[in-house]
Amino acid sequence: MFRLFAALIATACALPCDAVSACGADLRGAQTIESARYQITYRLQPAKIAVGRHFSVEFVACAKGGAPAPAAVVVDASMPEHGHGMNYKAVVKPVQNQNARYRADGLMFHMPGRWELIFEVQGAVGTERLTRSIALE
Amino acid sequence: MTRRGIFIFAAAIVACFALRLAAADDGNLLRFTPEETRRILQHGPWPRPWSRDPSNRVSGKPAAIALGERLFFDPRLSSGNSLSCASCHVPVKSFADGRKLGVGLEEGDRNTPSVLNVRLNRWFGWDGSNDNLWAQSVRPMLDPRELAVTARHVADFMRNDRELRCRYQQAFGVPPAPVDDEAVMVDTGKALAAYQETLVSGRTPFDDFRDAMARGDRQAAARYPQNAQRGLRIFIGKGSCNLCHFGPNFTNGEFHEIGIPVLRKLGSVDWGRYQGIKMLQASRFNLEGPYSDDASRSTATSSRHVALGPQNYEQFKIPSLRNIALTAPYMHNGHLATLRDVVKHYSEIDLGLLHSVHLYDSDGVPQTLPVDNLLKPLKLSVQEIDDVVAFLHTLTEKRAGAGIRRVTHNSNCR
Repeated sequence: MFRLFAALIATACALPCDAVSACGADLRGAQTIESARYQITYRLQPAKIAVGRHFSVEFVACAKGGAPAPAAVVVDASMPEHGHGMNYKAVVKPVQNQNARYRADGLMFHMPGRWELIFEVQGAVGTERLTRSIALE
Repeated sequence: MTRRGIFIFAAAIVACFALRLAAADDGNLLRFTPEETRRILQHGPWPRPWSRDPSNRVSGKPAAIALGERLFFDPRLSSGNSLSCASCHVPVKSFADGRKLGVGLEEGDRNTPSVLNVRLNRWFGWDGSNDNLWAQSVRPMLDPRELAVTARHVADFMRNDRELRCRYQQAFGVPPAPVDDEAVMVDTGKALAAYQETLVSGRTPFDDFRDAMARGDRQAAARYPQNAQRGLRIFIGKGSCNLCHFGPNFTNGEFHEIGIPVLRKLGSVDWGRYQGIKMLQASRFNLEGPYSDDASRSTATSSRHVALGPQNYEQFKIPSLRNIALTAPYMHNGHLATLRDVVKHYSEIDLGLLHSVHLYDSDGVPQTLPVDNLLKPLKLSVQEIDDVVAFLHTLTEKRAGAGIRRVTHNSNCR
């Protein structure tokens, strides 16, 4: 997607399949998004994001049901109704001393309205987008 | 009728009159929905709380503010001693100049923005080529079309003028460095920034209305003109103007393309934000550079993450709307003369002017950009245009200069 300012490609944060049930279980206040192959457990920091303020996303990405582990995850966001994305690109880095946990910094929603938070999971069988809608007032 | 019955009857009549009076008093007030009210309240309160700039070690320091004010009006900071910052940022013109294009030693390519409320910016200049106010204050000094001086000129001026040297020492704790011209010039920019941080626009009729709505005072809110209320309803409703002109300062601080012609006088294209990001990233004076006083570099987050791409072509800064009635003409190049022209522009916007197909790859093949669906012709009636203009007029301060933060400092430097 042209305007996908992808935030950075994180080298992989996969947990083995048998760990899915515990995928990010220690992330307090986290939410999950699932597809057939992956589960993302994430939380926003700060938990309540505001228009025009930078925020971060802390997450764990896990493979499900014997699927190969994700090779990388890009974090991005867009406003589907407006046809534009963020003006900033997030950078994903591992969280120190937290096995398999990653943090995307530098995101900003610069307008009120409906945003779509995007996790683009890159794996051996291609790229998959897991999204979550966020209404920002 | 018993005495109790008479009392209840009389009380009911009094209550009825009171209700009718109250209804008459707030009869001018439109019935804003809870959602509309929520959006209205987002545009305040005003003024914003004070906070210092961590990247500027003299931010908020009275001696620096006094020095900055002195420098702001001093023409010796220009080539030929002919111009000062105040030549273009004229206090009686809401710190703009009223011209279509700014004129320094030569005419420039862009309209002079007001510096009122400038401290609230994330990005500075129409293209956001600076991420801090002190760098933005240095920029016109070095621009050959504006003040056209050198770092050496600025540094020697600060070193050799007895009063300024004394004031510099009071502001920064040390005299101007004897050798490092650039450092002295940047400090001069920091003093100018400290002064400009005090330039705040005063409260407006809209602020009174907004605050009345916040405390549920319908009678006070009803004093706000009804045509302005109708215009406000369009602004936060069918116009969606509040998506970009968001928050207490009526801007989200970002950039957008809105179909204003970008050809300059000599035929070159003003690429706006695209060029601005490139200049920002190349600048020695950005918040990641050696002159920022923010050791943590936490103020540099936006600069570190800003995205550069073709979507930035022809984007320009979304300006604050505060004091907008005092800062005509409008847009990055003064293309629109009046507020009515601005509202008509959005009412009739030609989407063909937005850059969706006139980008080409290296082989000359047109690139198709996804269309930003945000802008659509609003097709406003004449009455609606009048109403939005009436609303915009209420964003202008009631008393000129009333919001400026007064700081006293007795330098004893003569």
